[in-house]
Amino acid sequence: MLNEDALKQVMATMLNVDAATINEDSSMDNVPNWDSLRHMNLVLALEEEFKVSIPDEDAGNITSYKLIKLVLNDLGV
Amino acid sequence: MSEVPVDPRAAALAVLAKADSTMMQLTQAVNTLEKEAQPRTVKIGVSSSATVDLLNVYLRKHGLLNGARIDLVAGNYDDPIGDIDLFTQAGVEQIVLLPFFDNLLPSFEAQLGNLDPSIIDAKEAELRQRYRMVFDKARAVPAIYLGTFHRMGSPADAAGQDAVAIVLARFNAALRDEAAAYANIRIIDTEDIVRAVGQGAAFDTRFYFRSKAPYTGVYMNELARRIAAAARGFGAHFYKVLALDCDNTLWGGVIGEDLLNGIKLGPYDYPGNIFWRMQQEFAALERQGILLALVTKNNPADVDEVLHKHPDMVLKQSQLVAKKVNWEDKPSNLRALAKELNVGLDSIVFLDDSSFECEAVRQQLPMVKTVQVPTTLSDYPRVVAEIKSLFLAGGIAADSKDKTEQYRQRAGAEELKAQFDTQEEYLASLELKVELTRNARASAARISELSQKSNQFNLTTTRYSVAEIEQMMEGASHAVYSLVVSDKFGNAGLTGVAVMRYEGQAAIIENFFMSCRVIGRGVETGIWPRIVADAMQRGCTELRAEYIPSAKNVQVADFYNRLGMPAQEETGEGVRRYTIAAADFAAPPNPWIEMTYVE
Repeated sequence: MLNEDALKQVMATMLNVDAATINEDSSMDNVPNWDSLRHMNLVLALEEEFKVSIPDEDAGNITSYKLIKLVLNDLGV
Repeated sequence: MSEVPVDPRAAALAVLAKADSTMMQLTQAVNTLEKEAQPRTVKIGVSSSATVDLLNVYLRKHGLLNGARIDLVAGNYDDPIGDIDLFTQAGVEQIVLLPFFDNLLPSFEAQLGNLDPSIIDAKEAELRQRYRMVFDKARAVPAIYLGTFHRMGSPADAAGQDAVAIVLARFNAALRDEAAAYANIRIIDTEDIVRAVGQGAAFDTRFYFRSKAPYTGVYMNELARRIAAAARGFGAHFYKVLALDCDNTLWGGVIGEDLLNGIKLGPYDYPGNIFWRMQQEFAALERQGILLALVTKNNPADVDEVLHKHPDMVLKQSQLVAKKVNWEDKPSNLRALAKELNVGLDSIVFLDDSSFECEAVRQQLPMVKTVQVPTTLSDYPRVVAEIKSLFLAGGIAADSKDKTEQYRQRAGAEELKAQFDTQEEYLASLELKVELTRNARASAARISELSQKSNQFNLTTTRYSVAEIEQMMEGASHAVYSLVVSDKFGNAGLTGVAVMRYEGQAAIIENFFMSCRVIGRGVETGIWPRIVADAMQRGCTELRAEYIPSAKNVQVADFYNRLGMPAQEETGEGVRRYTIAAADFAAPPNPWIEMTYVE
């Protein structure tokens, strides 16, 4: 079962925002710090923290909280 | 059970020091530590032809591990020339330049097999031109770390010399060649980083094709570590002296017990061959300007016997700048060594096999870098490689080459000191000669280097780049005086600089700094009558000076008082300002110095 608090913590740290501001609707469109550069670091950090390897085709596209959750769930987290 | 309180600072530092911390842990630890005051802040611009955003957290990590907060200014993608303007405006002190081979043309490595040689020639010419412009624009930046090119793919041919390898070697030679003309550039060999971390671990191609971000955190960490080393821990240290224990450090066994024929040292047999090999490394360091000293608990006669009589002893008496061979404790001997050589304890690396001695030094002299000879002897070369990188990572100026000679002269002079009744008699016996030169253009690089290195005898700790020195020499508003000291023991080289600025009637000593190895001989006061006379000739009627305290320059806090200048004010920060009518200026006499003057 995905620990959503841990997910929020990773996102907040890598996007350099307060964890309380990350919610179900957070996405690249409404988190100002979430740019393509930070996104790469976020993907690398998600892989490390949840011990998964995010497939190439997903890596660039998981640009919202919901999509990240979906992919992590698919990967069995 | 009560909980043990965890110091967040210590915990964060532990995360940084751990090799397997995740990027998120690192980011959190870096954020925690950057909220606190750090001893130093260094502003660094990063310019690359690939996307290297990931480097930031690792540069900040290695900065913090060295007590420096790193403020980063990101350049634009593949625009090194524009980046230099950007960085200069932002006031960066250091620049990291990371050209990227595969991006020189789209998929350059794959294209190379198909390209006409004339295109490669043109590309090389363009590369040279481009970086010549970059380097030239960045002349005034104190330090530039230039990463060389590496390849991303492996050669398919077992022989390795495919088209990529050949062009890569050629372009790297071109980069090094262009960089060689600039004293502020330090090369970082990125092919060696790829080798060290492994080709497979260095790259992450997912984001390369999408966003031109080729590297993994593992690569970036190693790159940042090497940049920190080349930057001498971002100004944290500048090691000059290697202090060596003898028994089980320079040779196997104990000379006092095993005797000359019993100690293990020689080119062929184990374990003597390891000690022999390490001595070769130490001797090579000495040739590159590192000072070697013995700090060892032995009978002096025993050690001398090895030095003079052992057939396989690599290090010779002449390569040792000082010997502390006695039964006193190591911290006392290291203190005495620092005093004798006139270097800070923080410029000494101490190597010893004994845990007891290492611990004693670590506790009493934490500023000394203490390294222990590993109990597993086959690890010794790796430890010595680390010692070498402590000394050599920052690069060593050509002028540093015969340092041992110069310091030994000083040590010799120290011994002579005892035999004279007065300091003046002693100084007179040295036959001191000082050559003062105004605007010695050929020495601009050495002058800049001295301004970077001098800490203790540095009145304002203003650092100058080569370009700034050249500018002041050429302009009418400044003059740069440099002095070369020699005595009957030898020539100490260019060891002192006074930077003068002229504003109307006032001649202002903008900075005065000297190498500590010539202090205490009256040279520092002897040069001023001539400099003041020059100023008067220009029409100046007033001489002004300023002392700005730093962590290291207490010894010159009252230098201008000693020079006979009255202090006008002292600010809350301890800045002292001095003014005197030029006509009233009279430096303390020092008849024992023979002054010559070169225009």
